[in-house]
Formats: sequence, C-alpha cells, structure tokens
Amino acid sequence: MLFGAAALFAVLSALTWRRVFLVVCSALFVWVQNPEWLDVFTLLGFVLSGYFAARILVWRPSTTFLALYIIALTTAFVVLKRYDFLVLVGGESLLAHAIDLVGLSFIFFRQIHYVVDVRQGEIKELPLWGYLAYQLNPFTLLAGPIQRYQRFHEDWQALKSTFPDAHALRLALLRILLGVIKVSFIGEALWQIATGAALVPDGTPDWAQRLLLFYCFPAYVYFNFVGYCDIVIAGAALFGIRVPENFDRPYLARNMIDFWTRWHRTLSFWIRDYIFTPLYMFIARRQPAWAANSVFLCYFVALFLAGVWHGATWNFVIFGLLNGVGVAAAKLWENAIVARSGRKGLKVYLESKPIRWIAGIATIHFVCLTQIFLRPGSEDNFVSVWNALSRGLGL
Amino acid sequence: MSELLEQVTTIIRDVFGDDEVTVTETSSAEDVDGWDSLMHLNLVIALEKRFGIRFSTAEISLMKEEGQNLGTILNLIRAKKGISA
Repeated sequence: MLFGAAALFAVLSALTWRRVFLVVCSALFVWVQNPEWLDVFTLLGFVLSGYFAARILVWRPSTTFLALYIIALTTAFVVLKRYDFLVLVGGESLLAHAIDLVGLSFIFFRQIHYVVDVRQGEIKELPLWGYLAYQLNPFTLLAGPIQRYQRFHEDWQALKSTFPDAHALRLALLRILLGVIKVSFIGEALWQIATGAALVPDGTPDWAQRLLLFYCFPAYVYFNFVGYCDIVIAGAALFGIRVPENFDRPYLARNMIDFWTRWHRTLSFWIRDYIFTPLYMFIARRQPAWAANSVFLCYFVALFLAGVWHGATWNFVIFGLLNGVGVAAAKLWENAIVARSGRKGLKVYLESKPIRWIAGIATIHFVCLTQIFLRPGSEDNFVSVWNALSRGLGL
Repeated sequence: MSELLEQVTTIIRDVFGDDEVTVTETSSAEDVDGWDSLMHLNLVIALEKRFGIRFSTAEISLMKEEGQNLGTILNLIRAKKGISA
C-alpha cells in the first residue's frame, strides 16, 4: 500500500495535488486507526484546539494563556488516556468514557511544542491544512518520531522526494525492507521467546526462563521500535518528508543520561527542550545558588514524566521513577568524580576502556530492569506486589 | 577578535571557571572541556543576563544541534541586539 501510494504521489506534478493526496492519506489512516465517529471527532477537537490556541497567541501574545492552555490540554490528555491515578482524585467516573484514541500521546507532545514555539515567535506562518497534515502525518502518528513543526513546514512547501540519485532511492527502499524484517521476523521471534518464557504452562517460570525473559523482552522492544522507525523514516522520504532519526545504538550507552540521548532521541530532545530546560532555567535564573542542586530534581522530574507518559497504569509510574533515579544518579556520580579528581580526572575516567565496558554492562542491565515494567501484564504484577506489600506492612 | 567575541569569551571563562579557555567563532562544545548540556544552559543564562536578551526554546535547541558552533550563538546575539557581523 505504501509503495502504491508513493508511486501515485510521484506522478502528481502540482504541489496542491500532492498536499491534497497527503491530507487524504492522513485522514484515511486516522479513520482506520480510530474507526468510531466519537473517537474521530474527539481527536479532531483535541488537535484543532492547538491550532486555535496558536491563533489566539498570535493575536494576543500571553504567557498566562499559554500556561492555562497547556494545563487544560494536559488534563484532557490524562482523562482521555484514562490514567489510573484519576481514581484517586475523581473516582471511577473519570475512567468510564468510551473514547479510545490511537496516536494521542505523540499528538499531545507535538501540540505543546507547536503552541510554545508560536508563543515564542519561532513559528510565524499558521496554515490550517499544514498544521493538520503535521499533526495527523501517518508517518509519525502511531509512535513518532516526534518531528518539529518547523522542519515539517519546510517540507510542506515542496513535498517532493529529494533523493539525489537512484542509488539513494534504492537505499531507502532497502531500509523499508530491513525495517519489515526487524519488526516481523527478528522482533516477532524475540516476542515468541519472551512470552514463551513468561507463560509457562506448569507454574512459575524457573530462573532460566526469567533470565530469558529479562533479556529477550528489551531486545524485542528494540527491534520492534527500530524496525518501525526504519519503515516510517524511509517511507516518509518517498513523500518528501524528513522524519528525524530516533535511535543511535542505545544499548551501547555508558549511563542512563547517555542512554536517553540514544534511545527514542526525539522524545529525549522534546523532554530536554520542553520540560528539563524550562524547569532548570526557571530555578537558575531566579535562584542561582540553587542551580547546582536543582539539576538532580530537574533530571528526575523530566525522566519521571517521560516514563509516566508511556502509559496510564501504575507500572509506568515505576518505570518513570526508575528512569528518573537512574538519570539523577548518573549526574551525581559524574559530580562526585569531578569533586574528587577535577575535570581532568573526569576526562581520564571517561577515556578508560575497562571502565567503559563495566559502565556499559551495568547500564544495559539497569535498562532491562526498567523495562520489566513495560511488559504487558506488569500492571497486574505491580498490583499483586503492592497488595502483598501492604498486607505485610499491615496497611 | 571582534568585541562581541571578546565579551562572550570572558563570559565562557567565568561560567566554566577557567581563565585559560580560548575560543573562536568556529569553536564547538567538543573544543571546551566540560561543555555539556548543563553547562550549556548555564552559559545561556549568563549570556541572557549580560546582553539583556532572552533565547527561545528553539534557539537553545538549535545551539546544541550537530554542526552548530559558537558562531551560531554569536549570530543569535547579533540578531537580537541589532549588531552587524
């Protein structure tokens, strides 16, 4: 279907027709993913609110309005995604709606980026169809990468594939094929191994099966996600859309800070630009004396929110907590080395090959530990463990 | 060395606590020991305070992109202050 659409797209000579074609493809894709009319209207309402908020911000620039809009958008997001913690604040009623939206998590982040950058004067042109095409882009709707509006807007002006020669086109097609292999064969095989190890018919998995599950699930997640990115990045290029790269050998990371610059990079950079940086600069500008210590809080908050964003159930809270702790600990460790041996000592430490190996092995195992809480069914395990702990503590 | 570059060099030396640091318009984070993401933000704050300007989220992000260097930062300051190159 992708190749057929790309072939049809390539013969459209007028930009207007290419834009119409992309918008129609986007609409069809959204409808296939969200077939109920209530879901479609809710999604459109969510998306269009960003456009109208941007229009208001251009007409009457106001940081207060921006903040209120982001709070309202986040509230809508949390309710639509049915976050478990809503039970604590509003009871079951807030979880009782029938709306189920595919693509909402990434739309949410792109929307915040859009309105913030409009408010800061970094986005000046606000074409409605360009905005809708950006938000509902089939190549980034389901699972990212999180593309920035400015880059998409540049591409929207031409929407023509920019392969310099036939060889480059062949490489893109090969990348799509490799992506399919990663998802459908390697990833699928790892999933079968991982779930086979988890779902043993005769009781609790033994230590060997737990070990297999411990390593195979993260490997499955990697190949599944990287393969998906190969397909959408190369596929989007056929339509003249530059989708950013999302992975850089993440399992070679030396610590959790390094890991998050290699894994789901567009998410990391979004977290850096729209959570970590504003939070840190808010504190550092007003209280410079607090800056050095506030960085650990900023790292923790940023990665905790990134973790929680992944899902609505309590296991993702644990995932977020572990990642927050891991990143903050990595920064603390670096500071301890600098305090003991200075910047030159840190350089020697970073260049040491044995230390690089140990750090890499420790990091990959910590990542595998955090991903226990991404596994399907881990929310039930969390509830069981929490109930057992509560009984044990007499709560 | 332009006057702006001199001023920025002084700020960099102050932020990094190293009077030996020498930079040019083509210097990047790799050329200065300790210029990581956090020090980059501290430098941005110091530049904002010194020049009475505010960088946007997109501009701070742009400074850290591959291929960008101190010249990118200087050009942003020039644009905000109306200084010619």
